[in-house]
Amino acid sequence: MLAQLTRVLRGNRELSTLLICVALSIMCLVLPPGAQQRISFVLSEALLGHVERLSSVFAEYRRVGEENAALRHIAIDLMTERSALVAYRHENQRLRELVGFLVAFPEEELAEMIPARVIGMPGGRVVESMKIDKGEDRRLRPGMPIVVPGGLVGKIASVFHDRSLVEPLTSASSGVSVITERGRVRGVVKPRFGAASRRVSWEIDYVQARSNVREGDLVVTSGLGEVYPPGINVGRVIRTVEGPLTMSIEVELAVDFSTVEQVFVLTGRAGVPAKLDGLRERLIAELDNERAALEGRP
Amino acid sequence: MKSGWFAGLAVAAVILDSAVVPEIEILGARPDFLVLVVAYAGLVFGARPATIVGFILGLIVDAEQPDYLGLHALSLSLIGFASASAWEHLVRGSLFVQICVLLGAALAHDIIYYVVYYRNHLDMFARFFVRFGLLGAAYTAAFAVVIHVLARIYTWRSIAGVTRA
Repeated sequence: MLAQLTRVLRGNRELSTLLICVALSIMCLVLPPGAQQRISFVLSEALLGHVERLSSVFAEYRRVGEENAALRHIAIDLMTERSALVAYRHENQRLRELVGFLVAFPEEELAEMIPARVIGMPGGRVVESMKIDKGEDRRLRPGMPIVVPGGLVGKIASVFHDRSLVEPLTSASSGVSVITERGRVRGVVKPRFGAASRRVSWEIDYVQARSNVREGDLVVTSGLGEVYPPGINVGRVIRTVEGPLTMSIEVELAVDFSTVEQVFVLTGRAGVPAKLDGLRERLIAELDNERAALEGRP
Repeated sequence: MKSGWFAGLAVAAVILDSAVVPEIEILGARPDFLVLVVAYAGLVFGARPATIVGFILGLIVDAEQPDYLGLHALSLSLIGFASASAWEHLVRGSLFVQICVLLGAALAHDIIYYVVYYRNHLDMFARFFVRFGLLGAAYTAAFAVVIHVLARIYTWRSIAGVTRA
């Protein structure tokens, strides 16, 4: 019978393979627990270890993917928050500058300063005009000077109910009477438009040759013309060219007009400064007193 | 389909069985990728390789449960041999036939495995089989559709049965 079975198995390789596998499986099943543990351990170390490592890589990949998605959300939130904080920082810095600027003024002059926000500024090579959010409602009038902590911005060109149009120093029609702080040399700062190079520069006109002007000299308003009060920072001399009769002086303006957000309107400086107004009234009152005193004399 | 590819698929099946299957279970039923691989080994390579593949894969999986070492090997060897024998007498390229063979293979595997596993608690076996076995076998058989589509795309003639024009 065994010989017959052997003959059948030799003739059917598939069946013999199955019987061998089944026999091995049953052997494994009926092994003592200790032997089963050892075989499992060997198999686990040899084969399942790699499989488990691959499985863990897969699981790790999924975990990293989920973590990545969560981190993306956090990154977006943080970027939004950062943008807000940067805006706050800039605002804080600007307000600090304004506070520092305002503290430098005596109280009576501070009362003549009206803060205004820039609400319009057309693009272009230079800032030709600005719009601010205060107008007739705050008793603004054309000609009132506009300043920022950095220096002079310009003057009010026209006034509407709650808006005003500002003519900045950068405007083609602007001209400011200035004086150099060191050498006390007077002139008028005007823009120069280079047609070919499309470059815009600011130069002081009407300065005699061999005047006491050097690069780096501070340029401030002279107070002539009664539009701008004296001593407001306009800029700094960056280049001087001596001519036969006059001197060409190039000035770098103190204010970066493209970044101006908040300005101050000097309300007492339209035509006749407020202080002079007060002085005139005081003088008139004194004259009246003197006249009355004279008339009262016997 | 080359045998190297198939060996890769067998390894992938073991990995998928431990890593992915728990994630894709439906109502507690899980597909059995090992049965899938062994049954298709019978279709592609014949009874002898399918039996050996079933035995080796079963033994690898059994290493996780030393108390029943050889039980998966036994059931998968039998599945490999039985499915290969079934393919001999059936229209191999038919999707319906493949679904039926896979369904039968998955059911047979569960019966062999869990009868031994629950040999002292056959009532539990019946409950388990009705609750999870039938649905799991259907889930496994559903993968025949996926494999059939892939076989048509990649012109695995032994599985698709036809070639693209």
